[in-house]
Amino acid sequence: MKRLHRFFQTPEAIAGALILALLVAIALAAPLLFPGDPQAIAGPALLPPLQNWSLPLGTDRLGRDVLAELFHGARTSLAVGLAAAAAALLVGAVVGTLAGFAGGLIDEVLMRITDAFQTVPSFLLALAFVSIVGPSLGVVIAAIALGAWTGPARVARAEVLSIRERDYVAGARVIGMHPLEIAFREVLPNALPPVLALSSVIVAAAILTEAALSFLGLGDPNRVTWGGMIAEGRTVLRTAPLLSIVPGIALVLTVLGVYLAGEGVVESTAVRRSLS
Amino acid sequence: MTVLAVSNLSKRYRRGGKPFAAVDDVSFEIGPAETLAVAGPSGSGKSTIARLVLRLLEPDAGRIQFEGADLLILSGAALRARRARLQMVFQDPLAAFNPRSTVARALDDPLRIHGIASRSERPRRIAALLERVGLDAGLAARAIHEISGGQRQRVAIARAIATRPSLIVLDEAVSALDVSVRGQILDLLLDLQRQERIAYLFISHDLGVIRALAHRIVLLEAGRVAESGDARTVIASPQSAVGKALVAATPRLNRIKTP
Ligand SMILES: Nc1ncnc2c1ncn2[C@@H]1O[C@H](COP(=O)(O)OP(=O)(O)OP(=O)(O)O)[C@@H](O)[C@H]1O
Ligand SMILES: [Mg+2]
Repeated sequence: MKRLHRFFQTPEAIAGALILALLVAIALAAPLLFPGDPQAIAGPALLPPLQNWSLPLGTDRLGRDVLAELFHGARTSLAVGLAAAAAALLVGAVVGTLAGFAGGLIDEVLMRITDAFQTVPSFLLALAFVSIVGPSLGVVIAAIALGAWTGPARVARAEVLSIRERDYVAGARVIGMHPLEIAFREVLPNALPPVLALSSVIVAAAILTEAALSFLGLGDPNRVTWGGMIAEGRTVLRTAPLLSIVPGIALVLTVLGVYLAGEGVVESTAVRRSLS
Repeated sequence: MTVLAVSNLSKRYRRGGKPFAAVDDVSFEIGPAETLAVAGPSGSGKSTIARLVLRLLEPDAGRIQFEGADLLILSGAALRARRARLQMVFQDPLAAFNPRSTVARALDDPLRIHGIASRSERPRRIAALLERVGLDAGLAARAIHEISGGQRQRVAIARAIATRPSLIVLDEAVSALDVSVRGQILDLLLDLQRQERIAYLFISHDLGVIRALAHRIVLLEAGRVAESGDARTVIASPQSAVGKALVAATPRLNRIKTP
């Protein structure tokens, strides 16, 4: 409760939380407000916004309802962003914990693998992965996570290196606890806070990567995505610029919201730490 | 029969590139239900010996015989199983527990790991352990940080005796406690030793506490044994320079009653 109070003290955090709340509401409401297939033709092609109240944002080049696409696109963006970030954090935390706790050869091997992944730009990695395996929601999520787990792995490892010297870890060994149980039950949960602090940046980056993949036509073809909408609108950029601008604004606002809210969380926990 | 026999134990570290011995050719024995004190100035290697005996550190040389068997050849599951008989209590009871732990979980772990009691039986065992160390069984549900330092050290002792060990290593186990609590914990340790015939390797720099608890003493200086023998004899008339310095540095020694 106190923490929540502190979170809402900075205007940035409030703005971020509001944007995120709106976004989640939109994503949840999408199938209720627009129950049909958002990719189905809903009216004449290239209908401008605010002309027909059943199609408030008009239609795109193929006559699809832009507002419906926008709402359903929010679902994809959020789902992919959150799932990819969760996967990256999970893999990163596990790899970092194993490396830091085991030390020696295991540490050496795992960190060299992490280095290798880190030297390849994460977008190229995602691009290559989707091109090879083929675009679908799961593949896109995996592709994005593939380039995002190294940061959490490094942070987790650094934290584990300091935690493993604590008395309670020695105490766990003294009572005969198995090393894997010590690593994942005693050490990992205590190493999580700084790892989770990365999540807002990772979610924001994941949403952008997903949009970029879709823009290049490598998103799941069965789902509406903002990146795909921008790419679609590009062909009629002169005559109907809003078709690209509207999903672009949605994307910017989402990333901003995630980032601001994440900073707010980090800030409020940092204040809490410095107080205690 | 001896519980623990340590011979020619050595552990070297590197300091500024050149090796130095934190523990250098140390030998001692501990019999059943006996308390051996290890004393010495800060940095003399006391904690290093504790960690070596518990196999938390690997020695560079020497032998450790525990309950008649070579402890140093054990590894993996065999070592973990052996740990039931060889326990430790740390100096800072707050640092010695997972900060997320509860009292119940701290005591449940050794019972579960060594298969001492079935899941349904364990709450009763935990309550009995808490009562054995003079705590209310209702404390089980509390988080580790929600109990006092003295209570926490009692929980640490309960955890150490949960697996019925023959030896407990106590590294400055009462140093962080204030004087009245310290006396109670020492009484508890003496009582446990009488009842359960547990041997203690008792590390401390407090000669007053050592005289109240220990049968024999080993004095360390820079990793080497400077002097050893009957605890009261050594404290009454130390022969080594370290011994004399330690006695001189303990003014309240003469005011402490021996039990
Ligand atoms: N991991 C390590 N690396 C290098 N040197 C170490 C390490 N651990 C301990 N030492 C050194 O070994 C020596 C013995 O340390 P140890 O902790 O055993 O001393 P101690 O007798 O327990 O001291 P205190 O009474 O202060 O607890 C010290 O000089 C210490 O600096
Ligand atoms: Mg020490």
